[in-house]
Amino acid sequence: MRSGAARMQPKVVPLMLEAVGVTKAFGPRRALVDVDLSVSEGDVVVLVGPNGAGKTTLLRAFATLLQPTSGMLRVAGLVSTEAGHEVRQQIGYLSHRTLLYDDLTAEQNLRFYARAYGVPDAETRIEELLERVSLAERRGDPVRTFSRGMQQRLAVARTVLHRPRLLLLDEPYAGLDPVAADTLTALLTDLAEEGRTLVLTTHHLEGISLDYGRAVVLNRGRVIYDGVVDDHATLPALYRKLVAMPPSQTSSSEPVSPVSPPDRLNPVREEAPTAGGAGYLRQLGAIVVKDIAAELRTREILSAMAVYAILAMLIFSFALDLRGVAARAAAPGVLWATIAFAGTLGLSRSLAREQETGGIEGLLLMPADRTVILLGKAVGNLILVLALEVVLLPLATVLFNIGLLTPDIGAVVLLGTLGYVLAGTLLAAMAVNTRAREVMLPILLLPLVVPLLIAAVQATSGLLEGLRWSEVAGWTRLIVVYDLLMAAVVLFTSETVVEA
Amino acid sequence: MADHVRTRHNLPRADIVLAALSVIAYVGAMWMVFGYAPREATMGDVQRIFYFHVASAWVGFFGFFVTFVAGVAYLVRGARRWDILAGASAEIGLTFITMTLVTGMLWARPVWGVYWIWEPRLTISAVQWLLYVAYVMLRGSVMEPERQARFAAVYGIVAFVTVPLSWFAIRWWRTIHPIVISGEGMAITSRMVYTLVASLGAFTLVYVTLVRRRTALEQARDDLAALQFARESGEG
Repeated sequence: MRSGAARMQPKVVPLMLEAVGVTKAFGPRRALVDVDLSVSEGDVVVLVGPNGAGKTTLLRAFATLLQPTSGMLRVAGLVSTEAGHEVRQQIGYLSHRTLLYDDLTAEQNLRFYARAYGVPDAETRIEELLERVSLAERRGDPVRTFSRGMQQRLAVARTVLHRPRLLLLDEPYAGLDPVAADTLTALLTDLAEEGRTLVLTTHHLEGISLDYGRAVVLNRGRVIYDGVVDDHATLPALYRKLVAMPPSQTSSSEPVSPVSPPDRLNPVREEAPTAGGAGYLRQLGAIVVKDIAAELRTREILSAMAVYAILAMLIFSFALDLRGVAARAAAPGVLWATIAFAGTLGLSRSLAREQETGGIEGLLLMPADRTVILLGKAVGNLILVLALEVVLLPLATVLFNIGLLTPDIGAVVLLGTLGYVLAGTLLAAMAVNTRAREVMLPILLLPLVVPLLIAAVQATSGLLEGLRWSEVAGWTRLIVVYDLLMAAVVLFTSETVVEA
Repeated sequence: MADHVRTRHNLPRADIVLAALSVIAYVGAMWMVFGYAPREATMGDVQRIFYFHVASAWVGFFGFFVTFVAGVAYLVRGARRWDILAGASAEIGLTFITMTLVTGMLWARPVWGVYWIWEPRLTISAVQWLLYVAYVMLRGSVMEPERQARFAAVYGIVAFVTVPLSWFAIRWWRTIHPIVISGEGMAITSRMVYTLVASLGAFTLVYVTLVRRRTALEQARDDLAALQFARESGEG
């Protein structure tokens, strides 16, 4: 192994990746400290370091999944913070988690990501990749039935689906048996030979059979070594020596880079994403279709909401035992309270499902505006809650012997549900990232929907009492104002709220 | 040993002055409430709760407004001090709104015969109480400081902007249905007005003093965490 400085390349190599003075702090803890790193196009670089060294943090920063506290990141000549969409289009990120949806088939997973990235000739590309990762015969099986090795191969297919020029691979060999590891090595070698830039992390050098040309050692958030690797056999011993050195010695050693004059790569879009409104709608549609497909397969959310709502409605009906005028007075309140409580179950589950599978990371990696993610989830949730109401309205009609099934009441229910789902989806995105996420959504949401619920109950009551639409217009206008306010809040805060 | 263990016993001068002013203003307001303001003809001495009730409600609403403004400032600027201010103001505003609810119930029982009634002002106070309990719980439930600050800022903003809608909905709802009580029945003399103004001033000063101490405490926690981390990681 030789120092990169000793082997300066005379030719000008374009840079694919560049970090300048990157620091990332989580409160008082600094996960990355003033990291400088540059990677040329076509390089295969292994990023090595002990647990907690900052490898994953650095890769996530490169992948735009987190913002550095200070410093600058550039991918393919584009500054990450200024050109997030274009940068994400150039990157394929393989996370600790597969970012695959367990309840969807291999083919459905790839189709979702193909729509999200705007991959041209998507079906041909999916076919080609499934063949390449030897999963063509299992294309119609849910991912949850796959072994760890099969899931990892499918995850690699997902990573390269949109033909990214830069592959960021976080512990790609973790949990693989030797045969699966060899298969992965063959895949990665093919990608390297195609000229893709590969940056992969590990804390177990002996486990990597890939032929890498350069190693970067991170420790305590700092780059303590950066050099070209000629002999892979010597690297583990050197790594152990470097990591065992006290911080005062390693931090003073000068990091070196094998790349000589930094010649930045002009942004070239191999597969330019579809820009503008059509791309936005395509990505939004992809999220909705994916959510509905997952729900149709599992019926996990809808059945839980429906059973809960039916139970609540029956208990209210039994406990109150209302008839005639009293039933008509109480029914709107019971109906909306049931929707509000049962809805929180569905909204909470919908976002938790993303969080558990790591799917939210997959969504964040899309070359898309963050609002697409929240609006896509909101539309999916709206469809689910409306489906619940299709069951609930006839049930309330029967139990309370009132005429809820009218177009006017349907319109009030639709408007009220829209505002409720917008507020609920926004808050569910926050609640899934809290410690008490199972109980946090109703605590956050219910006080916030007080004006909506009052207006919806009053409008429903008025219509049940025989008032015309124009006579309850004050309440419906209040609902519309609430809906618009929540839509604006969702649009303006998506960037702040949606995160892995 | 004692040489290098430095403890800051002294408050900043501005805080001492502010605390002294708060105490003086509060004692003065108490004297006005119990010794200067006249006894209300219909309700008697129980009406004196009014001065605490209104003043604590004002400070509570003001505290939530500060949380809203600081939340916006945090999202725009990203500076930790705005997040600290937002959290401190919400906690203290919540304390004062709790006082509003308790004093409202204590007043309601002898005057209206019930502790609680869905009167618009009490209802909106209850809704605000629930909103800011949720806000405080949210802060306590997110461990990563930056994420905590972002989420809290968003929730603080959303909570505040829905309050006018809640007020409008509750007011309208209770107007359509029979209104049991109205504040218009109480005749307020000039002495009562002066006493109310004095209470508002005193409570506001107490709020400012508490917010300053609370923000200083949070800043000290940040400093301590940074020192502990530096020591553990061998950087100090």
